[in-house]
Amino acid sequence: MPRLPLGDWVDSGVTYLRDHCAWLFDLITTVVSGMYDGLDAVLRAPEPLLLAGIFAVLALWLRGLTAGILTFAGFALIDSVQQWTAAMDTLSLVLVATVITIVLAVPLGIWSARNRTVGAVLRPVLDFMQTMPAFVYLIPGIFFFGVGQVPGIIATIVFAMPPGVRMTELGIRQVDGELVEAAEAFGTSPRNTLLRVQLPLALPTIMAGINQVIMLALSMVVISGMVGGGGLGSSVFTAISQVNVGLGFEGGISVVILAMYLDRVTGSLGSRVSPLGRRALAAANSLRGARVWTYRPHTAVAMVGVVVLAVVAGGMNVFGPSSTGTAVAAGKNVGHGRTVNLGYIPWDEGTASTYLWKEILEQRGFAPKVTQYDVGALYTGMSTGKVDFETDAWLPTTQKSYWETYKSRLDDYGSWYDRTSLELTVPSYVKGIDSLADLKGKSKEFGGRIIGIEPGAGMMKMLNDTVLKKYGLDGEYQVTTGSTASMLAQLDRSIKAKQPVVVTLWSPHWAYSKYSLKKLKDPLGAWGQGDGVHSLARKGFASDEPQVAKWLKDFKLDEKQLTSLEAAIQDAGQNHEQDGVRAWLKTQPGLVDKLAPIAA
Amino acid sequence: MSRLEVEHLYKIFGRRPETAVRWLEEGADRAELRDSGTTAAVIDATFDVREGEIFVVMGLSGSGKSTLLRTLNGLLEPTSGRVLFDGHDLTALGPRELRRVRSHGISMVFQHFALFPHRSVLENAAYGLEVQGVDRAERERRATEALELTGLAGWEKSWPDELSGGMQQRVGLARALATDADLLLMDESFSALDPLIRRDMQDQLLELQKRLKKTIVFITHDLNEAMRLGDRIAVMRDGRIVQIGTAEEILLRPANDYVASFVQDVDRSRVLTAGAVMEKCAGDADSSGRSVTMDTPIADLCALSADSDEPIAVRSDEGKLKGLIPQQTLLAALAGEVTHA
Ligand SMILES: Nc1ncnc2c1ncn2[C@@H]1O[C@H](COP(=O)(O)OP(=O)(O)OP(=O)(O)O)[C@@H](O)[C@H]1O
Ligand SMILES: [Mg+2]
Repeated sequence: MPRLPLGDWVDSGVTYLRDHCAWLFDLITTVVSGMYDGLDAVLRAPEPLLLAGIFAVLALWLRGLTAGILTFAGFALIDSVQQWTAAMDTLSLVLVATVITIVLAVPLGIWSARNRTVGAVLRPVLDFMQTMPAFVYLIPGIFFFGVGQVPGIIATIVFAMPPGVRMTELGIRQVDGELVEAAEAFGTSPRNTLLRVQLPLALPTIMAGINQVIMLALSMVVISGMVGGGGLGSSVFTAISQVNVGLGFEGGISVVILAMYLDRVTGSLGSRVSPLGRRALAAANSLRGARVWTYRPHTAVAMVGVVVLAVVAGGMNVFGPSSTGTAVAAGKNVGHGRTVNLGYIPWDEGTASTYLWKEILEQRGFAPKVTQYDVGALYTGMSTGKVDFETDAWLPTTQKSYWETYKSRLDDYGSWYDRTSLELTVPSYVKGIDSLADLKGKSKEFGGRIIGIEPGAGMMKMLNDTVLKKYGLDGEYQVTTGSTASMLAQLDRSIKAKQPVVVTLWSPHWAYSKYSLKKLKDPLGAWGQGDGVHSLARKGFASDEPQVAKWLKDFKLDEKQLTSLEAAIQDAGQNHEQDGVRAWLKTQPGLVDKLAPIAA
Repeated sequence: MSRLEVEHLYKIFGRRPETAVRWLEEGADRAELRDSGTTAAVIDATFDVREGEIFVVMGLSGSGKSTLLRTLNGLLEPTSGRVLFDGHDLTALGPRELRRVRSHGISMVFQHFALFPHRSVLENAAYGLEVQGVDRAERERRATEALELTGLAGWEKSWPDELSGGMQQRVGLARALATDADLLLMDESFSALDPLIRRDMQDQLLELQKRLKKTIVFITHDLNEAMRLGDRIAVMRDGRIVQIGTAEEILLRPANDYVASFVQDVDRSRVLTAGAVMEKCAGDADSSGRSVTMDTPIADLCALSADSDEPIAVRSDEGKLKGLIPQQTLLAALAGEVTHA
């Protein structure tokens, strides 16, 4: 059987599209990210509890008092576990994706209900969209749309579209043929038949479809958080990659609250907007009589409630003191509000240095934007100019392959932390094994396994290609692949059970302060010389922002500074990284001026 | 004068309909075509419907009645032949003009009522006017009138599913009447109702028709209904119209054995009238005693006839003597042996 180069064809197709339809992708990116930014700004603007109040009034209007109270409690919970902004980002992503999906899906559904050929062509396409694993188009999305929210939204649209189309088609086909004939017999035009008879009668089914669209969108938005989509997805992703189960749960429960709210609200919106549903509601109400728990305000009352709360929200925002902003001292405003895009990978030293720079840049009058990415996405983002700089590149060894691929479009500003090391590590209770050479012949003890991390990590490649061979371990041990989080989870588990385990680890890493561990010595130097943590920037950033580039090139932290900064951030909690940075800066007087001196 | 003329109308479903028409013209029959996957639903139908009459099309299930009816307002396009409505050829109209004819000139009542469940009774009745673009106040006024006409005053705010079947069909009728279209197409409109209600509806339709003088094409598979309602009846079999005539003509002179066997079980005493069975005699016999009008059903004569042996006099509405009905004649008519008149 000859090898069919299907993958190559797809690759060249993708390249061709990227090179020749760039204007189209740019247009889509502009429109979609514009929608997202606008909506996100609106949702983030009001005080969380006030917005929770608005959501509660909506629930009260649609479902009654119990739902209203639960809504308020749910959103208050999201706020109190400090997931509010992440939740609003996610909500914006879901709403933007849903609106675009509906705008595309409903007409497609109508078309395929009216035209059998269209229906027949569309069906396999929809199957394809729904079953293709999301990552397959999530990552190429980055090629077309750059990192950020847009590829996530596009992937979400692709994933959530099928039920929208199918349910619309089904709803219209389900309408009694005699009714359609009646409409025609009275001279109704096809357009009006659709608008006055078919759509109103199909509405309950279409709304059920929209409800499914929203639920699928939410699940996909969470996944896309992992490739820089932001929101609760990256909260969960960050927490899990730090093996912080509690934090992960807080993110997770926020997703659940959002999901339940969206599900119930759109569910009853269906009965509110469809004439048939309104009738059923009216009938049910007259049976039940007026009771407090089922009291629902009339549309007008609910609208007034929403408007009042919204006005209050707007007012507070305009007049209220802005306590969270960073004051720019007189004479130190270098940035004049210019935007700088920072990207980071949720590793501790990356988070720490990135938020440090965010604070410094704000103090210097810039408007820095911080976005979390996965390694590959971060490099792609910088090479396409979407990200200005990052401070967590492990070079020359660990991220060598990424650097080789993208170096023509990047600048290396040098390392700010020296020197990292890669190693195999065992818990210190494992006796008699102090060096890599000691592992030989001991594979039984470790079940023949070395617990590895992500298969794509540079460290894994080195381990398999060089280290194991040099020490003659390659026949004896299997390196398991998984994720950093799963490696740390396994380490934790083994330590609790006092079992021998050998893991891939690196320094600096918080695991060394949390557990008592032993780095295995590398007498043959197989791991190489170790890395520096470098700052990288897109080509051209140095000429756009020479001052910032200069600061970054001179940036240095020592181990004590880095670990204390990491600890301060850990104390401040997720989504409050910058507060941690501020607290830490108070203990480092003069550091900001040292790191970002103002040219006289 | 005829409102509607149908000339050599064919409607073929399936592949190569034109070829099928040619074959049928050359004498092929329905069964042969069916083998080749084509259905000849209506074959060479020619008739006219006169102003103000109820024209009933009757036939068994599958005989092509509904198909025929739907070509009359252009819901189906005939495969060949013409439909003239007030002298205009519907088959030559574009979609827009056709819609205009449907909204202003021809309205329709359906077997399963086809009321819009998301509209109130009033909104249903006003639907046709809404399509015509009549403003709200006006169309609600006219819809209310139409509902009053069909005996539904006071139900305007209800919803269709809150009404009984009979009432729903009254809404359907009101919807058709509200547009002032004067051709009404009714496809088995009373078939879904139970027998008592069906009778009510038939009576009401006849009552309305006396007042409104619409032109109605009424489809049914129920012979008794056809005889009760129809000024003239077309009998269809396997896509062809086999006989057109008044109820009496069909009862008394069936065109073929099929029609004869079809009409066998009809309650003749309710269909045949004094005028149809009487022995004609002009002149001025004594005006004493028992006389009836021409359109009295013979069921009503039995009691009279049993009272005495004298023949019953049949008179025109003005009182002129038209004929006599002796007892034997009456009995023969009831037995189905009347052939004269
Ligand atoms: N759209 C269509 N496509 C194909 N064949 C059809 C179509 N509509 C009707 N027919 C066929 O045409 C024939 C006549 O159907 P039609 O509905 O006119 O009969 P009918 O006399 O109204 O019967 P019923 O009393 O059951 O309503 C039937 O054999 C039917 O199967
Ligand atoms: Mg029929």
